[in-house]
Amino acid sequence: MNKHASWLLAMALTVAPIAVQAAPPAGDYVVGFNTDSTGPLAAAGQSFTRGAELATAEITAAGTIAPGARLVLDIKEAAGDAARSIQNMHQFLADRRVIAASCCILSPIVNSLKPVVAGKMPLVVYGATAPGLPSLPWVYSTTALPGPKDTETAATVARTLKPKTVTYFVSADNDAFKARMAAAEAAVKATGAATAAVISVLGTDTDFTAPATQAMGTNPDVIMVYTTQSPAVGIIAALRARGFKGVIVGNDALAPAAMWAKIGAPLVGVPFPLSFSPDVNQSPEARAFVAAYKAKYNTPPDLYSAQGYEAMWLIAQALHSMDGQPTREGLAAALAKQTAIEHNVYGGQAMKDGQAEVTGLTIVNWTAEGTLAAWKAP
Amino acid sequence: MQLLLEQMVNGCAIGALYGLFAIGFGLVFSTLGILNAAHGCYASFAAIAGYYAATSLRLPFAASLVAGVVTGAALAILVDQIAFQPLRRRGAGMLGALITSIAFWMILDSLAGLATDQQSLSFPAGTFPSAMPMLGTLPLPAMQMIAIGGLIVVTIAIHWLITHSRLGAAMRAVGWNETAAQLGGVNPRLVILATAGLAGATSGLAGVLAGISTNNVSFTLGEGMLLKGFAAVVVGGYEDVRGAAVAGIGLGVAEVLSAQYISTSMRDAITYALLLGFLVLRPRGLFGRASFLRA
Amino acid sequence: MMQKLLDLWAAYESTLAFAAVNAFFALSTYAVMATGILSFATVAFAAVGGFLGAQLMGQFGLPLWLVLPASAAGGCVASLVVSFVFLRLESHWLALASLALILITRILVLNAPMLTGGVNGLSVPIEAPLWLLLGLLAVVALAFWRLSVSWYGIAARAVREDPAVAGSLGIAPRRVQRMAFAVSGALGGLGGVLLAMTLQFLSPETYYINISFTMIAAVVLGGSYHWMGAIVGALVFTALPQIMQALVPQVQDLARGVALLLIMILLPRGLVDPRAWRIRRALREARR
Repeated sequence: MNKHASWLLAMALTVAPIAVQAAPPAGDYVVGFNTDSTGPLAAAGQSFTRGAELATAEITAAGTIAPGARLVLDIKEAAGDAARSIQNMHQFLADRRVIAASCCILSPIVNSLKPVVAGKMPLVVYGATAPGLPSLPWVYSTTALPGPKDTETAATVARTLKPKTVTYFVSADNDAFKARMAAAEAAVKATGAATAAVISVLGTDTDFTAPATQAMGTNPDVIMVYTTQSPAVGIIAALRARGFKGVIVGNDALAPAAMWAKIGAPLVGVPFPLSFSPDVNQSPEARAFVAAYKAKYNTPPDLYSAQGYEAMWLIAQALHSMDGQPTREGLAAALAKQTAIEHNVYGGQAMKDGQAEVTGLTIVNWTAEGTLAAWKAP
Repeated sequence: MQLLLEQMVNGCAIGALYGLFAIGFGLVFSTLGILNAAHGCYASFAAIAGYYAATSLRLPFAASLVAGVVTGAALAILVDQIAFQPLRRRGAGMLGALITSIAFWMILDSLAGLATDQQSLSFPAGTFPSAMPMLGTLPLPAMQMIAIGGLIVVTIAIHWLITHSRLGAAMRAVGWNETAAQLGGVNPRLVILATAGLAGATSGLAGVLAGISTNNVSFTLGEGMLLKGFAAVVVGGYEDVRGAAVAGIGLGVAEVLSAQYISTSMRDAITYALLLGFLVLRPRGLFGRASFLRA
Repeated sequence: MMQKLLDLWAAYESTLAFAAVNAFFALSTYAVMATGILSFATVAFAAVGGFLGAQLMGQFGLPLWLVLPASAAGGCVASLVVSFVFLRLESHWLALASLALILITRILVLNAPMLTGGVNGLSVPIEAPLWLLLGLLAVVALAFWRLSVSWYGIAARAVREDPAVAGSLGIAPRRVQRMAFAVSGALGGLGGVLLAMTLQFLSPETYYINISFTMIAAVVLGGSYHWMGAIVGALVFTALPQIMQALVPQVQDLARGVALLLIMILLPRGLVDPRAWRIRRALREARR
């Protein structure tokens, strides 16, 4: 072989593997992001959005999808309103640059959006907690479902403390929490504890002294709270203010550091299942996430930020696995093939039938120093 | 028995807040003829002002209350002059005022959200009295006593103002017929400002107290108060502050007792059913004077 | 260029659909306002029509041409019941009572899961195509036009101006107002089921404070003295959040309130004002 030919052969052999390992071309990949950063869900909505923004910045900087490929968020506000969410989704669909959409804290809104995106564009749900939302290949959820963890936590507490009676608080106007409470109650009953009372509160309630008095009047050994964030802290604060000394079981809405900053002392010792917290998740990805989030937003991330973060990483991962110019249908097919989210802050996040799962249960509580620690029975 | 007494106290305390708010809301409705959708925002902003007075400026509890009350009054006067005064000159009726108040409700809620960074804040422990003296076995939390005491004082004061002072007479005259009042030598501009300020002040007081006792300083505070205060105004009659006060307490007690003894999930239903019942059967409320029915 | 237009249409088609649905609610509110009554009760009529329609479509699989009239009829029945109670009240009290009705409606929806799906909500299988919404709106607009130039229209204007004088002229105000409520109920029920088909999922929040403010703002903004005002107002008020979102996304809610305020201050009688037309026409005639 003459010198040029062998040189050419060497070049071809070097270049060939790179050419075969196809990836999406460089350019902008837009995710239509439906957010609820104003209105009644604003606190959580902001958290989800910030997590997603951090993720897209990291993904773009690292060239995760492909060298020179940028992941961009097109954020549209819905303020928790179904009509606005639907209109936003139609606008995303009409925008040719948008390749996937992400949405929703409220499950009814996800149900409204399903017929809109079906057959047209993949939708990754970052926040709604009702089970059964995913619908392959168009609808996915990276929310770590809190229901099963609530049930396990309730059963564990009941087995450890062996209460005779338990009183429950539930958000009567929230379908996800109603289901969570029902499942937890069933598990607790199976351990032999009886239900003293079920007290309903509404999302818009602001005074909890009376419900707390009512709960204490039923003389329970343990009180379990399955309500949204504001009522949950209100109930716990009211119970402790009136002198309830028994164990109160909470839920993951108590995890954000903002809740400790808000209420403080009454939260000490209240166990709840953990999905993400800067104090407890210590994997390298988690620590990098916490550091980057703090640097960007001056406040530590919470479980909602982590969910928004993972939603974007799932999309990036699926995009990276595709060959040539991605289409919406192609992305939907690629998403359906993902069995786990590789870059995750939980120490392991599987994707089963479009629903993210985090195995293992850590029951934690706030300590008097303002950190989260593993729960120990009193 | 113990539980009943405890819940009665709780009911009176919540009801006191509803009543305080209703006094303000009812003053605007009866004297100025305006159904003000933005009235709840005065309570929200008062709570926010009180919060920042207590945390950033580290003022004592009484000073935070005053900060809240003054903020409520100032905001009410501001909104009245920007929103409702131009409409008064044009003679637009309740409808125009209602829509303008909705516009302001959107604007003020937005601003309140920005002021708390969309979070719900809490007064830190130590910035308000948290003692809970016991009357025998009955707990009497300090904040509840302050709320009930506040309602009694404010009701007596405003009732005296309206029935025994010149300003009060002027307010009643303007509420009946503004032109006739002007003919009688009343300066309606002053009366309107005074009424708006007073209404904002009482609702502001309700807002700060509610923000402390419910651990919720945010724009959602005002919305909750608006609905309940409106119910109290309807049940109590909007012409007499004593009616609003009594109705507020009554609603609070009814709410708590119906949750305790009937069903917690129907708690609000009973409140609103009472509301509708009064509207239909006795529209002038418990204490209002008879008004003319439709022609 | 063609592509851009098609994309624009696809993006804002749903906004037009929601504007059409809101127009039904606005017209329903206008129907009673034309006789001098301020009432928020349309929301309750919409809830009746919406949940009834959703159940008829979902549970019984009835076709659209049966469901739509059934929902309108449901709304009509509800409005007649409501009118018997409300028409005895003075205007301030009627407005407050109708507000209370909305609050009660939500509680009833939450506590009747057999009928409304309760807190879990109800899925609506059929989607309302845009041509249906616009077509029905055109039919209703035509009906309003015919009504406004008929005996009923004149009677309504008289009752709105001064019920006592109308009474002395032989027009029974109560009767006219009850008819207005019936029209309002039918439109509200129809609008309710159309909203259900546009959202395709109902929750207790669907028929609540949001649409009540939208419909009142639409009527007043558009002009409460002419039926076209309700339609124009609904279009403007539905498009306003989208426009603000496109122009100033950071402060869009604030901007929406400011825009509403400016319209109220500058055009207090609304965008469609027959009196302004009459004045302009009179001026033109005087100049000739």
